Amino acid sequence: MAEHTVASFDEDLRQISRLINDMGDLAGSMVGGSTRALLESDNALAQRVVSDDAIMDARQRELDDRAITLIAKRQPMADDLRHVVGSIRMAGDLERIGDLAKNIAKRVGSVGVSTAPRDLTHSIDSMAQLVLIQVQAVIQEYTVGDATALAKLRNDDERIDVKYTSVFRELLTYMMEDPRNITACTHLLFCAKNLERIGDHVTNIAENAYYVLTGTQLPANRPKQDETAMSAPAA
Amino acid sequence: MKPMLSTDLNVADTTVEKAKIEVKNLNFYYGQSKALKDINLSLPERSVTAFIGPSGCGKSTLLRVLNRIYELYPKQSAEGQVLLDGKNILDRSQDLNLLRTKIGMVFQKPTPFPMSIYENIAFGVRLYEKISKAEMDSRVESALKRAALWNEVKDKLNASGQSLSGGQQQRLCIARTVAVKPEVILLDEPASALDPLSTAKIEELIDELQADYTIVIVTHNMQQAARVSRQTAFMYLGELVEFDRTEKIFTSPREKRTQDYITGRFG
Repeated sequence: MAEHTVASFDEDLRQISRLINDMGDLAGSMVGGSTRALLESDNALAQRVVSDDAIMDARQRELDDRAITLIAKRQPMADDLRHVVGSIRMAGDLERIGDLAKNIAKRVGSVGVSTAPRDLTHSIDSMAQLVLIQVQAVIQEYTVGDATALAKLRNDDERIDVKYTSVFRELLTYMMEDPRNITACTHLLFCAKNLERIGDHVTNIAENAYYVLTGTQLPANRPKQDETAMSAPAA
Repeated sequence: MKPMLSTDLNVADTTVEKAKIEVKNLNFYYGQSKALKDINLSLPERSVTAFIGPSGCGKSTLLRVLNRIYELYPKQSAEGQVLLDGKNILDRSQDLNLLRTKIGMVFQKPTPFPMSIYENIAFGVRLYEKISKAEMDSRVESALKRAALWNEVKDKLNASGQSLSGGQQQRLCIARTVAVKPEVILLDEPASALDPLSTAKIEELIDELQADYTIVIVTHNMQQAARVSRQTAFMYLGELVEFDRTEKIFTSPREKRTQDYITGRFG
């Protein structure tokens, strides 16, 4: 893309892009950190994730300020306008991802070491891997401008939904097998739900990024595979 | 608003709405130099169309062809067709005075006549119609009301038109245009010499007038084009680069040249 006649306009836009990148990196490290803390009962790591959320919030506020000022000063048009408005929205989703990761981190102490046997966390582990890959990929694909990859990434959220359904069933089974698992499994269930919600925010980011890059919206309907609302515990 | 479908061409499909003006294969020359190159476009009735583009792109020239005002100057010529309700106004048999009552024009600099506010409006009406004093009074009042100027001048209709502020003068010119009951109003940078408040009043006026008139506006102010028009034509070096719904042009134009211009990346 050619430079603007007014060079400082380019610098303003670059700063917004840098903030989105920073927030994307931070979101990846928070999601990775919170699930590792959960799986390894690492309270120190969990604390770091909780404190990182304040940085995430500050980044979002800075991005909002810069974007609003840019709109007021430059009245951006076309791709510039999509870039600025899309960044505001993506920052909102990244901030929510930070909140959800913090929420997972806060449960680390509650799940506890003794009450969370390793085998309870296996399927959460693989779900977390899927989510982490999505979080890291979405900002990367946006930065390199790959709209096709973003459309695919949005559809890949389906795999997280499928995984969530199976984690949900699995945890229910553990709880029925041994009521002593209920506390730990309930916390794990909330964690799984948070991971699933993170996946949804990644989907939003992918949709916004696609619009910023192409000027067209992805179709409204995407296959949904979260069936937990329909599944009842087996008798 | 009726939908206008985009086609693969860079010209919006306006066939779902009645076209007031259709420009077909229009070329324009200043002497030997070609200022408009094969322009084709269709302006829907009772809506606002904006022409945008850098200086010298031909947007004012195109506007000046629509009421043949270019013929006031030597060595300027147009070829092709400009159909007003299906009738070619470039035809030699076209009565120019009649054409200019149908297609009124307002210029960048307010141009009130050196006469009273009342006479500024009555003058043009008298050229074409013989009406009684009472009818003229009512015509002047309705034109001034239409141009949102009545309340400001009703107590000083005999004051000179040139005693008004710039923004008021421009609205007086719009009132003068409206008074002869045109069908199309051409606005050539109508607010570029005005302060923001006067500009807002002109824009509000344009918004109201489109219920009754087909309006074409040339403007350097892209935000203004985005605010007031329903379709926008982007011109560059005498060519019509892209013509589409205004929101499409300003959010995701198809052509790179349009995008570069409206985002400030030109040159």
